[in-house]
Amino acid sequence: MERNVCIIAGGMSQWGVRQASQRDVFQEAGKACFETIPALSNKDVDGLIVASAYTERCSFQTHLAPVIAEYLGIKPRNICARVELLCASGSSGIILAYGLVKAGIADVVMVIGGEKLYTPQRWEIQYSELASVDHDWDGSQGLGLPPPAFSMVAQQHMKKFGTTEEQLALVSVKNRRNGLNNPKGQFQQEITLEEALSAKAIVPPLKLYDCCPVTDGAAAVILACEEKAKYYTDKPLVYIKGTGQATVNNMSANMPDWTTWEALKIAAKQAYEKAGVKPSDIDVAQTHDCFTISEIIEYEDLGFCEKGEGGLFIQEGRSDFGGVVPVNTDGGLLSCGHPFGGTGIRQGMEIMKQLRGEAVRQVEGARTGLTHNLSGFIAAHTVLIYGRDI
Amino acid sequence: MRGISVLNGRYAVTMDMYPLQSKEFNRIYKFYDHLREGRFTTTKCNDCGVRSFPPRVICPECLSENLEWVDLPTEGTVKVVTEEVVGVPLGFENPLIHALIDLEGQLTHFARIINCQTGELKEGDRVKMAVFPVDPVPVDGKRGEFVEMERVFYAFEKVK
Repeated sequence: MERNVCIIAGGMSQWGVRQASQRDVFQEAGKACFETIPALSNKDVDGLIVASAYTERCSFQTHLAPVIAEYLGIKPRNICARVELLCASGSSGIILAYGLVKAGIADVVMVIGGEKLYTPQRWEIQYSELASVDHDWDGSQGLGLPPPAFSMVAQQHMKKFGTTEEQLALVSVKNRRNGLNNPKGQFQQEITLEEALSAKAIVPPLKLYDCCPVTDGAAAVILACEEKAKYYTDKPLVYIKGTGQATVNNMSANMPDWTTWEALKIAAKQAYEKAGVKPSDIDVAQTHDCFTISEIIEYEDLGFCEKGEGGLFIQEGRSDFGGVVPVNTDGGLLSCGHPFGGTGIRQGMEIMKQLRGEAVRQVEGARTGLTHNLSGFIAAHTVLIYGRDI
Repeated sequence: MRGISVLNGRYAVTMDMYPLQSKEFNRIYKFYDHLREGRFTTTKCNDCGVRSFPPRVICPECLSENLEWVDLPTEGTVKVVTEEVVGVPLGFENPLIHALIDLEGQLTHFARIINCQTGELKEGDRVKMAVFPVDPVPVDGKRGEFVEMERVFYAFEKVK
Protein backbone atom coordinates (compact mmCIF):
# COMPACT_ATOMS: atom_id res chain seq x y z
CA MET A 1 0.00 0.00 0.00
CA GLU A 2 1.99 2.95 -1.27
CA ARG A 3 0.56 6.33 -0.36
CA ASN A 4 1.07 9.81 -1.73
CA VAL A 5 3.11 12.02 0.59
CA CYS A 6 2.75 15.78 1.01
CA ILE A 7 4.84 18.49 2.63
CA ILE A 8 2.32 20.51 4.59
CA ALA A 9 4.21 22.96 6.83
CA GLY A 10 7.61 24.55 7.28
CA GLY A 11 9.34 27.09 9.49
CA MET A 12 12.80 28.11 10.59
CA SER A 13 14.56 29.83 13.44
CA GLN A 14 16.57 32.96 12.90
CA TRP A 15 19.83 31.83 11.25
CA GLY A 16 23.21 33.44 11.84
CA VAL A 17 25.66 33.90 14.71
CA ARG A 18 23.13 33.21 17.41
CA GLN A 19 23.13 34.06 21.09
CA ALA A 20 21.29 30.81 21.70
CA SER A 21 21.90 27.14 22.42
CA GLN A 22 21.28 24.10 20.22
CA ARG A 23 18.00 23.36 21.95
CA ASP A 24 16.94 27.03 21.75
CA VAL A 25 17.18 27.12 17.94
CA PHE A 26 15.41 23.77 17.57
CA GLN A 27 12.54 25.08 19.72
CA GLU A 28 12.32 28.24 17.62
CA ALA A 29 12.21 26.24 14.37
CA GLY A 30 9.60 23.80 15.69
CA LYS A 31 7.34 26.60 16.86
CA ALA A 32 7.71 28.51 13.58
CA CYS A 33 6.72 25.35 11.70
CA PHE A 34 3.65 24.61 13.84
CA GLU A 35 2.50 28.22 13.52
CA THR A 36 2.09 27.78 9.77
CA ILE A 37 -0.50 25.01 10.24
CA PRO A 38 -2.98 26.01 12.95
CA ALA A 39 -5.19 22.92 12.58
CA LEU A 40 -2.33 20.60 13.51
CA SER A 41 -0.96 20.46 17.06
CA ASN A 42 2.26 18.99 18.36
CA LYS A 43 0.14 16.11 19.71
CA ASP A 44 -0.82 15.10 16.17
CA VAL A 45 2.74 14.33 15.13
CA ASP A 46 3.40 10.58 15.29
CA GLY A 47 6.99 10.57 14.04
CA LEU A 48 10.04 12.76 14.54
CA ILE A 49 13.27 12.74 12.57
CA VAL A 50 16.04 15.06 13.75
CA ALA A 51 18.89 16.01 11.40
CA SER A 52 22.12 17.24 12.93
CA ALA A 53 25.78 16.59 12.20
CA TYR A 54 27.78 18.30 14.91
CA THR A 55 25.52 17.66 17.91
CA GLU A 56 28.07 15.49 19.72
CA ARG A 57 31.05 17.67 18.87
CA CYS A 58 29.57 21.13 19.49
CA SER A 59 26.87 20.45 22.07
CA PHE A 60 28.14 17.17 23.63
CA GLN A 61 24.66 15.74 23.05
CA THR A 62 23.92 12.37 21.52
CA HIS A 63 20.44 10.71 21.52
CA LEU A 64 19.21 14.07 20.27
CA ALA A 65 15.77 13.15 18.88
CA PRO A 66 14.12 12.46 22.26
CA VAL A 67 15.60 15.72 23.58
CA ILE A 68 13.94 17.68 20.78
CA ALA A 69 10.70 15.68 21.09
CA GLU A 70 10.50 16.58 24.77
CA TYR A 71 11.22 20.26 24.13
CA LEU A 72 8.57 20.49 21.39
CA GLY A 73 5.93 18.52 23.29
CA ILE A 74 5.95 15.79 20.66
CA LYS A 75 5.33 12.19 21.74
CA PRO A 76 6.29 10.15 18.67
CA ARG A 77 4.89 6.62 18.36
CA ASN A 78 6.31 5.41 15.06
CA ILE A 79 9.78 6.85 14.68
CA CYS A 80 11.99 9.06 16.87
CA ALA A 81 15.59 9.12 15.66
CA ARG A 82 18.41 11.29 14.36
CA VAL A 83 19.95 11.14 10.89
CA GLU A 84 23.37 12.48 9.88
CA LEU A 85 24.82 13.13 6.43
CA LEU A 86 26.61 16.39 7.23
CA CYS A 87 25.39 19.06 4.76
CA ALA A 88 22.63 16.76 3.47
CA SER A 89 21.35 15.60 6.88
CA GLY A 90 18.13 17.57 6.44
CA SER A 91 17.22 16.23 3.01
CA SER A 92 18.18 12.74 4.18
CA GLY A 93 15.63 13.18 6.98
CA ILE A 94 12.99 14.22 4.45
CA ILE A 95 13.71 11.18 2.27
CA LEU A 96 13.43 8.84 5.26
CA ALA A 97 10.21 10.47 6.48
CA TYR A 98 8.83 10.26 2.93
CA GLY A 99 9.56 6.53 2.81
CA LEU A 100 7.97 5.88 6.19
CA VAL A 101 4.81 7.82 5.36
CA LYS A 102 4.59 6.32 1.86
CA ALA A 103 4.83 2.83 3.35
CA GLY A 104 2.24 3.49 6.06
CA ILE A 105 4.65 3.19 8.97
CA ALA A 106 3.91 6.75 10.08
CA ASP A 107 1.25 9.31 9.10
CA VAL A 108 2.48 12.74 10.23
CA VAL A 109 6.24 13.20 10.62
CA MET A 110 8.16 16.30 11.58
CA VAL A 111 11.66 16.56 10.12
CA ILE A 112 13.68 19.13 12.04
CA GLY A 113 17.35 19.84 11.59
CA GLY A 114 20.00 22.32 12.58
CA GLU A 115 23.30 23.06 14.21
CA LYS A 116 24.85 25.15 16.94
CA LEU A 117 28.32 25.68 15.47
CA TYR A 118 29.59 28.84 17.18
CA THR A 119 31.16 27.91 20.50
CA PRO A 120 32.99 30.24 22.91
CA GLN A 121 36.31 29.30 21.26
CA ARG A 122 36.21 30.21 17.56
CA TRP A 123 39.12 27.90 16.67
CA GLU A 124 36.94 24.90 17.45
CA ILE A 125 34.89 25.39 14.28
CA GLN A 126 37.79 24.91 11.87
CA TYR A 127 39.29 22.19 14.03
CA SER A 128 36.01 20.25 14.34
CA GLU A 129 35.55 20.20 10.60
CA LEU A 130 38.54 17.88 10.28
CA ALA A 131 35.88 15.26 11.10
CA SER A 132 33.76 16.10 8.06
CA VAL A 133 36.10 14.50 5.53
CA ASP A 134 37.83 11.10 5.83
CA HIS A 135 39.42 11.92 9.17
CA ASP A 136 42.40 9.58 9.04
CA TRP A 137 43.40 10.44 5.44
CA ASP A 138 42.02 13.79 4.26
CA GLY A 139 41.53 15.39 7.68
CA SER A 140 45.13 14.71 8.63
CA GLN A 141 46.22 16.55 5.46
CA GLY A 142 44.45 19.63 6.85
CA LEU A 143 41.55 19.31 4.41
CA GLY A 144 38.76 19.74 6.94
CA LEU A 145 37.25 23.02 5.87
CA PRO A 146 36.13 22.73 2.26
CA PRO A 147 37.57 25.88 0.55
CA PRO A 148 40.80 24.20 -0.72
CA ALA A 149 38.81 21.45 -2.46
CA PHE A 150 36.41 23.91 -4.09
CA SER A 151 39.29 26.19 -5.10
CA MET A 152 40.82 23.19 -6.85
CA VAL A 153 37.47 22.43 -8.52
CA ALA A 154 37.09 26.08 -9.58
CA GLN A 155 40.59 26.23 -11.04
CA GLN A 156 39.98 23.10 -13.08
CA HIS A 157 36.54 24.25 -14.27
CA MET A 158 38.00 27.62 -15.30
CA LYS A 159 40.85 25.97 -17.17
CA LYS A 160 38.69 23.35 -18.88
CA PHE A 161 35.62 25.42 -19.75
CA GLY A 162 36.74 29.05 -19.56
CA THR A 163 34.59 29.87 -16.54
CA THR A 164 35.57 33.27 -15.11
CA GLU A 165 35.91 34.81 -11.65
CA GLU A 166 33.21 37.26 -12.69
CA GLN A 167 30.81 34.40 -13.43
CA LEU A 168 31.56 32.94 -9.98
CA ALA A 169 30.89 36.33 -8.39
CA LEU A 170 27.58 36.70 -10.24
CA VAL A 171 26.24 33.64 -8.39
CA SER A 172 26.93 35.37 -5.11
CA VAL A 173 25.43 38.67 -6.29
CA LYS A 174 22.22 36.86 -7.36
CA ASN A 175 21.89 34.82 -4.18
CA ARG A 176 22.57 37.81 -1.93
CA ARG A 177 19.84 39.68 -3.80
CA ASN A 178 17.46 36.72 -3.41
CA GLY A 179 18.36 36.61 0.29
CA LEU A 180 16.43 39.82 0.76
CA ASN A 181 13.41 37.51 0.41
CA ASN A 182 14.30 35.67 3.60
CA PRO A 183 14.26 37.76 6.78
CA LYS A 184 15.43 34.75 8.81
CA GLY A 185 18.57 34.22 6.72
CA GLN A 186 22.03 35.16 7.95
CA PHE A 187 22.54 38.07 5.52
CA GLN A 188 20.13 40.71 4.24
CA GLN A 189 22.62 42.83 2.38
CA GLU A 190 23.02 42.96 -1.38
CA ILE A 191 26.52 43.00 -2.76
CA THR A 192 27.75 44.44 -6.03
CA LEU A 193 29.85 42.60 -8.58
CA GLU A 194 32.76 44.93 -7.77
CA GLU A 195 32.50 44.17 -4.05
CA ALA A 196 32.44 40.45 -4.75
CA LEU A 197 35.46 40.63 -7.07
CA SER A 198 37.53 42.80 -4.74
CA ALA A 199 36.74 40.90 -1.51
CA LYS A 200 39.55 39.32 0.49
CA ALA A 201 40.94 36.01 -0.67
CA ILE A 202 40.04 32.81 1.20
CA VAL A 203 41.62 30.23 -1.12
CA PRO A 204 42.23 31.90 -4.51
CA PRO A 205 40.31 32.14 -6.77
CA LEU A 206 37.64 31.84 -4.07
CA LYS A 207 37.06 35.09 -2.20
CA LEU A 208 34.93 35.95 0.81
CA TYR A 209 31.58 36.12 -1.02
CA ASP A 210 32.26 32.92 -2.96
CA CYS A 211 31.97 30.96 0.30
CA CYS A 212 28.92 30.34 2.46
CA PRO A 213 29.31 31.31 6.12
CA VAL A 214 29.30 29.27 9.33
CA THR A 215 25.79 29.38 10.79
CA ASP A 216 23.73 28.57 13.86
CA GLY A 217 20.09 27.75 13.24
CA ALA A 218 17.40 25.16 12.62
CA ALA A 219 14.47 24.52 10.29
CA ALA A 220 11.49 22.17 10.37
CA VAL A 221 8.94 20.74 7.95
CA ILE A 222 6.01 18.37 8.39
CA LEU A 223 5.25 15.53 5.98
CA ALA A 224 1.91 13.73 5.95
CA CYS A 225 0.05 11.16 3.93
CA GLU A 226 -2.36 12.75 1.44
CA GLU A 227 -5.44 11.94 3.50
CA LYS A 228 -4.04 13.64 6.62
CA ALA A 229 -2.69 16.51 4.54
CA LYS A 230 -6.21 17.25 3.26
CA TYR A 231 -7.51 17.08 6.82
CA TYR A 232 -4.97 19.47 8.30
CA THR A 233 -4.62 22.11 5.59
CA ASP A 234 -6.70 23.88 2.94
CA LYS A 235 -3.60 25.04 1.10
CA PRO A 236 -2.65 23.57 -2.29
CA LEU A 237 -1.09 20.15 -1.83
CA VAL A 238 2.62 19.80 -2.59
CA TYR A 239 3.77 16.21 -3.16
CA ILE A 240 7.17 14.63 -2.96
CA LYS A 241 7.49 13.07 -6.41
CA GLY A 242 10.93 11.52 -6.51
CA THR A 243 14.22 11.25 -4.64
CA GLY A 244 17.78 10.16 -5.25
CA GLN A 245 20.85 9.98 -3.07
CA ALA A 246 24.19 8.73 -4.36
CA THR A 247 27.82 8.35 -3.42
CA VAL A 248 30.61 6.88 -5.52
CA ASN A 249 33.62 7.75 -3.37
CA ASN A 250 34.48 9.42 -0.09
CA MET A 251 38.21 10.08 0.08
CA SER A 252 39.58 12.73 -2.27
CA ALA A 253 42.04 10.25 -3.83
CA ASN A 254 39.08 8.26 -5.17
CA MET A 255 37.18 11.15 -6.81
CA PRO A 256 36.50 10.04 -10.40
CA ASP A 257 36.18 13.57 -11.83
CA TRP A 258 36.38 16.94 -10.06
CA THR A 259 34.43 19.02 -12.57
CA THR A 260 31.67 16.53 -13.45
CA TRP A 261 30.07 15.18 -10.32
CA GLU A 262 29.14 11.61 -11.13
CA ALA A 263 27.22 11.03 -7.89
CA LEU A 264 25.11 14.12 -8.59
CA LYS A 265 24.24 12.86 -12.05
CA ILE A 266 23.22 9.50 -10.57
CA ALA A 267 21.11 11.07 -7.80
CA ALA A 268 19.45 13.43 -10.28
CA LYS A 269 18.68 10.60 -12.73
CA GLN A 270 17.04 8.59 -9.95
CA ALA A 271 14.93 11.54 -8.83
CA TYR A 272 13.88 12.57 -12.35
CA GLU A 273 12.93 9.01 -13.29
CA LYS A 274 10.94 8.37 -10.12
CA ALA A 275 9.18 11.73 -10.50
CA GLY A 276 8.57 11.20 -14.20
CA VAL A 277 9.95 14.62 -15.10
CA LYS A 278 12.86 16.04 -17.10
CA PRO A 279 15.27 18.84 -16.18
CA SER A 280 13.28 21.17 -18.45
CA ASP A 281 10.16 20.54 -16.33
CA ILE A 282 11.77 22.09 -13.23
CA ASP A 283 10.27 25.53 -12.60
CA VAL A 284 12.31 26.45 -9.52
CA ALA A 285 15.32 24.89 -7.77
CA GLN A 286 17.27 25.23 -4.54
CA THR A 287 20.77 23.87 -5.10
CA HIS A 288 23.77 23.52 -2.81
CA ASP A 289 25.64 26.80 -3.32
CA CYS A 290 28.18 26.20 -0.54
CA PHE A 291 30.56 27.89 -3.00
CA THR A 292 29.76 29.82 -6.14
CA ILE A 293 31.50 27.22 -8.30
CA SER A 294 29.21 24.54 -6.84
CA GLU A 295 26.07 26.21 -8.15
CA ILE A 296 27.65 26.54 -11.61
CA ILE A 297 28.53 22.83 -11.79
CA GLU A 298 25.10 21.94 -10.41
CA TYR A 299 23.35 23.74 -13.31
CA GLU A 300 25.32 21.45 -15.61
CA ASP A 301 25.06 18.14 -13.79
CA LEU A 302 21.36 18.61 -12.96
CA GLY A 303 20.82 19.02 -16.70
CA PHE A 304 19.69 22.66 -16.70
CA CYS A 305 22.37 23.40 -19.32
CA GLU A 306 25.12 21.63 -21.23
CA LYS A 307 28.39 20.59 -19.57
CA GLY A 308 30.76 23.54 -19.38
CA GLU A 309 28.04 26.15 -19.91
CA GLY A 310 27.30 26.81 -16.24
CA GLY A 311 29.23 30.07 -16.31
CA LEU A 312 27.19 31.38 -19.24
CA PHE A 313 23.98 30.15 -17.55
CA ILE A 314 24.49 32.57 -14.64
CA GLN A 315 25.94 35.34 -16.81
CA GLU A 316 22.91 35.34 -19.09
CA GLY A 317 20.50 35.42 -16.15
CA ARG A 318 19.04 32.01 -16.90
CA SER A 319 19.10 31.03 -13.20
CA ASP A 320 17.51 34.28 -12.07
CA PHE A 321 13.85 35.31 -11.79
CA GLY A 322 12.53 35.49 -15.33
CA GLY A 323 15.12 32.98 -16.54
CA VAL A 324 14.88 29.31 -17.47
CA VAL A 325 14.92 28.06 -13.86
CA PRO A 326 15.29 30.48 -10.94
CA VAL A 327 17.81 28.94 -8.53
CA ASN A 328 18.10 29.63 -4.81
CA THR A 329 15.13 31.95 -4.70
CA ASP A 330 15.40 32.44 -0.93
CA GLY A 331 19.12 33.24 -1.01
CA GLY A 332 20.62 29.76 -0.79
CA LEU A 333 23.51 28.90 1.48
CA LEU A 334 25.46 31.98 0.38
CA SER A 335 22.83 34.28 1.86
CA CYS A 336 20.79 32.22 4.37
CA GLY A 337 23.85 30.51 5.82
CA HIS A 338 24.44 26.80 6.30
CA PRO A 339 23.64 25.09 9.61
CA PHE A 340 24.27 21.66 8.04
CA GLY A 341 21.24 19.71 9.29
CA GLY A 342 18.93 22.67 8.60
CA THR A 343 19.83 23.38 4.99
CA GLY A 344 17.91 20.65 3.14
CA ILE A 345 14.87 21.43 5.25
CA ARG A 346 15.03 25.15 4.46
CA GLN A 347 15.26 24.23 0.78
CA GLY A 348 12.20 21.96 1.00
CA MET A 349 10.29 24.69 2.81
CA GLU A 350 11.09 27.27 0.12
CA ILE A 351 10.04 24.88 -2.65
CA MET A 352 6.77 24.18 -0.79
CA LYS A 353 6.07 27.92 -0.62
CA GLN A 354 6.95 28.44 -4.28
CA LEU A 355 4.67 25.62 -5.42
CA ARG A 356 1.83 26.91 -3.24
CA GLY A 357 2.28 30.39 -4.69
CA GLU A 358 3.07 31.96 -1.33
CA ALA A 359 6.82 32.65 -1.58
CA VAL A 360 8.12 36.10 -0.63
CA ARG A 361 9.25 36.49 -4.22
CA GLN A 362 7.24 34.13 -6.35
CA VAL A 363 8.21 32.22 -9.49
CA GLU A 364 4.93 32.67 -11.37
CA GLY A 365 2.99 29.47 -11.92
CA ALA A 366 5.67 27.14 -10.52
CA ARG A 367 4.35 23.57 -10.31
CA THR A 368 7.53 21.46 -10.10
CA GLY A 369 10.55 22.17 -7.91
CA LEU A 370 13.86 20.55 -7.05
CA THR A 371 16.27 20.59 -4.13
CA HIS A 372 19.89 19.44 -4.18
CA ASN A 373 22.57 19.00 -1.52
CA LEU A 374 26.13 17.89 -1.76
CA SER A 375 27.83 16.72 1.39
CA GLY A 376 31.30 16.04 2.72
CA PHE A 377 34.21 16.19 0.30
CA ILE A 378 31.73 16.39 -2.64
CA ALA A 379 31.24 12.77 -1.61
CA ALA A 380 27.46 12.37 -1.65
CA HIS A 381 24.62 14.07 -3.49
CA THR A 382 20.93 14.23 -2.61
CA VAL A 383 18.13 15.33 -4.94
CA LEU A 384 14.40 15.67 -4.23
CA ILE A 385 11.66 16.65 -6.62
CA TYR A 386 8.44 18.20 -5.37
CA GLY A 387 5.32 18.93 -7.40
CA ARG A 388 1.75 20.12 -7.32
CA ASP A 389 0.85 17.20 -9.56
CA ILE A 390 1.36 13.57 -8.69
CA MET B 1 47.42 23.30 33.98
CA ARG B 2 44.51 25.34 32.73
CA GLY B 3 41.68 23.42 31.13
CA ILE B 4 38.85 21.21 32.24
CA SER B 5 39.46 20.71 35.94
CA VAL B 6 37.62 17.41 36.08
CA LEU B 7 39.94 16.02 33.39
CA ASN B 8 42.92 16.99 35.55
CA GLY B 9 45.25 17.71 32.63
CA ARG B 10 44.22 14.61 30.69
CA TYR B 11 44.48 14.65 26.93
CA ALA B 12 41.26 14.01 24.94
CA VAL B 13 42.67 11.61 22.33
CA THR B 14 39.39 11.47 20.40
CA MET B 15 39.89 15.12 19.40
CA ASP B 16 43.30 14.38 17.84
CA MET B 17 43.61 15.21 14.16
CA TYR B 18 46.03 12.37 13.37
CA PRO B 19 44.97 8.72 13.31
CA LEU B 20 45.87 6.21 16.00
CA GLN B 21 48.67 4.15 14.53
CA SER B 22 49.77 1.42 16.90
CA LYS B 23 48.95 -2.27 16.60
CA GLU B 24 46.59 -2.03 19.57
CA PHE B 25 44.32 0.45 17.81
CA ASN B 26 44.67 -0.18 14.10
CA ARG B 27 44.91 -3.24 11.88
CA ILE B 28 46.70 -1.25 9.13
CA TYR B 29 49.53 -0.20 11.47
CA LYS B 30 52.04 -1.46 8.88
CA PHE B 31 51.23 1.56 6.70
CA TYR B 32 52.76 3.77 9.40
CA ASP B 33 55.69 1.38 9.92
CA HIS B 34 56.35 1.67 6.20
CA LEU B 35 56.20 5.48 6.38
CA ARG B 36 59.02 5.35 8.92
CA GLU B 37 61.04 3.43 6.31
CA GLY B 38 60.28 6.12 3.69
CA ARG B 39 57.79 3.88 1.86
CA PHE B 40 54.31 4.99 0.76
CA THR B 41 52.22 1.83 0.62
CA THR B 42 48.73 0.48 0.31
CA THR B 43 46.94 -2.84 0.02
CA LYS B 44 46.26 -4.97 -3.05
CA CYS B 45 43.91 -7.92 -3.28
CA ASN B 46 45.60 -11.23 -4.12
CA ASP B 47 42.28 -12.70 -5.28
CA CYS B 48 40.84 -10.10 -7.67
CA GLY B 49 43.93 -7.93 -8.14
CA VAL B 50 42.28 -4.61 -7.22
CA ARG B 51 44.60 -2.14 -5.49
CA SER B 52 42.84 0.15 -3.00
CA PHE B 53 43.77 3.41 -1.40
CA PRO B 54 43.62 4.05 1.49
CA PRO B 55 44.74 0.60 2.75
CA ARG B 56 42.10 -1.84 3.94
CA VAL B 57 41.56 -5.02 5.89
CA ILE B 58 39.10 -6.33 3.28
CA CYS B 59 39.04 -5.79 -0.48
CA PRO B 60 36.18 -3.35 -1.28
CA GLU B 61 35.74 -5.03 -4.67
CA CYS B 62 35.45 -8.77 -3.81
CA LEU B 63 35.48 -8.62 0.03
CA SER B 64 38.50 -10.94 0.23
CA GLU B 65 40.82 -10.69 3.23
CA ASN B 66 43.73 -12.01 1.18
CA LEU B 67 45.58 -8.70 0.81
CA GLU B 68 49.22 -7.78 0.40
CA TRP B 69 51.14 -4.54 0.91
CA VAL B 70 52.38 -2.83 -2.26
CA ASP B 71 54.45 0.30 -2.79
CA LEU B 72 53.07 3.50 -4.35
CA PRO B 73 55.34 6.10 -5.97
CA THR B 74 56.76 8.61 -3.50
CA GLU B 75 57.23 11.22 -6.23
CA GLY B 76 54.70 12.85 -8.49
CA THR B 77 53.73 15.85 -10.59
CA VAL B 78 51.60 18.79 -9.47
CA LYS B 79 48.32 19.27 -11.35
CA VAL B 80 46.60 22.01 -9.28
CA VAL B 81 47.84 24.13 -6.34
CA THR B 82 45.61 25.68 -3.66
CA GLU B 83 46.77 28.21 -1.08
CA GLU B 84 44.44 28.61 1.91
CA VAL B 85 44.94 31.96 3.61
CA VAL B 86 41.83 32.15 5.82
CA GLY B 87 40.31 29.39 7.98
CA VAL B 88 43.39 27.21 8.41
CA PRO B 89 42.72 24.61 11.13
CA LEU B 90 44.77 24.70 14.30
CA GLY B 91 47.88 22.57 13.93
CA PHE B 92 48.55 23.56 10.31
CA GLU B 93 50.73 26.41 9.04
CA ASN B 94 49.25 29.53 7.44
CA PRO B 95 49.09 29.73 4.47
CA LEU B 96 48.16 26.08 4.17
CA ILE B 97 49.18 24.80 0.75
CA HIS B 98 47.70 21.75 -0.94
CA ALA B 99 48.20 20.24 -4.35
CA LEU B 100 46.46 17.69 -6.51
CA ILE B 101 49.34 15.37 -7.31
CA ASP B 102 49.60 12.77 -10.05
CA LEU B 103 51.67 9.93 -8.59
CA GLU B 104 53.05 8.60 -11.87
CA GLY B 105 49.56 7.72 -13.11
CA GLN B 106 48.95 5.32 -10.22
CA LEU B 107 47.03 7.61 -7.85
CA THR B 108 45.78 11.19 -7.82
CA HIS B 109 46.28 12.50 -4.31
CA PHE B 110 45.12 15.85 -2.91
CA ALA B 111 47.80 16.38 -0.29
CA ARG B 112 49.41 18.95 1.97
CA ILE B 113 52.61 20.59 0.76
CA ILE B 114 55.12 21.49 3.46
CA ASN B 115 58.31 23.57 3.40
CA CYS B 116 56.77 25.75 0.70
CA GLN B 117 56.11 29.48 0.35
CA THR B 118 53.06 31.11 -1.24
CA GLY B 119 53.48 31.32 -5.01
CA GLU B 120 56.41 28.89 -5.00
CA LEU B 121 54.68 25.76 -6.28
CA LYS B 122 53.32 25.59 -9.83
CA GLU B 123 51.55 23.14 -12.10
CA GLY B 124 54.06 20.67 -13.52
CA ASP B 125 56.46 20.88 -10.56
CA ARG B 126 57.79 17.63 -9.11
CA VAL B 127 57.02 16.81 -5.46
CA LYS B 128 58.13 14.01 -3.17
CA MET B 129 56.71 12.46 -0.02
CA ALA B 130 57.98 13.89 3.27
CA VAL B 131 57.48 11.97 6.52
CA PHE B 132 57.44 13.90 9.79
CA PRO B 133 56.86 13.05 13.45
CA VAL B 134 53.58 14.08 15.08
CA ASP B 135 52.80 14.31 18.81
CA PRO B 136 52.73 10.95 20.55
CA VAL B 137 49.49 9.84 22.21
CA PRO B 138 49.47 8.84 25.87
CA VAL B 139 47.92 5.36 26.14
CA ASP B 140 46.66 3.89 29.42
CA GLY B 141 49.10 1.21 30.57
CA LYS B 142 48.85 -1.24 33.41
CA ARG B 143 48.68 0.07 36.99
CA GLY B 144 47.80 3.59 35.82
CA GLU B 145 51.03 4.60 34.09
CA PHE B 146 51.05 6.01 30.55
CA VAL B 147 52.75 4.54 27.53
CA GLU B 148 53.58 6.97 24.72
CA MET B 149 52.31 5.94 21.27
CA GLU B 150 54.87 7.35 18.86
CA ARG B 151 53.41 8.63 15.59
CA VAL B 152 54.41 9.87 12.15
CA PHE B 153 52.50 11.25 9.21
CA TYR B 154 53.21 12.32 5.65
CA ALA B 155 52.85 15.28 3.35
CA PHE B 156 54.65 16.21 0.15
CA GLU B 157 57.33 18.79 -0.60
CA LYS B 158 58.79 20.33 -3.71
CA VAL B 159 61.75 18.53 -5.29
CA LYS B 160 64.45 21.20 -5.40
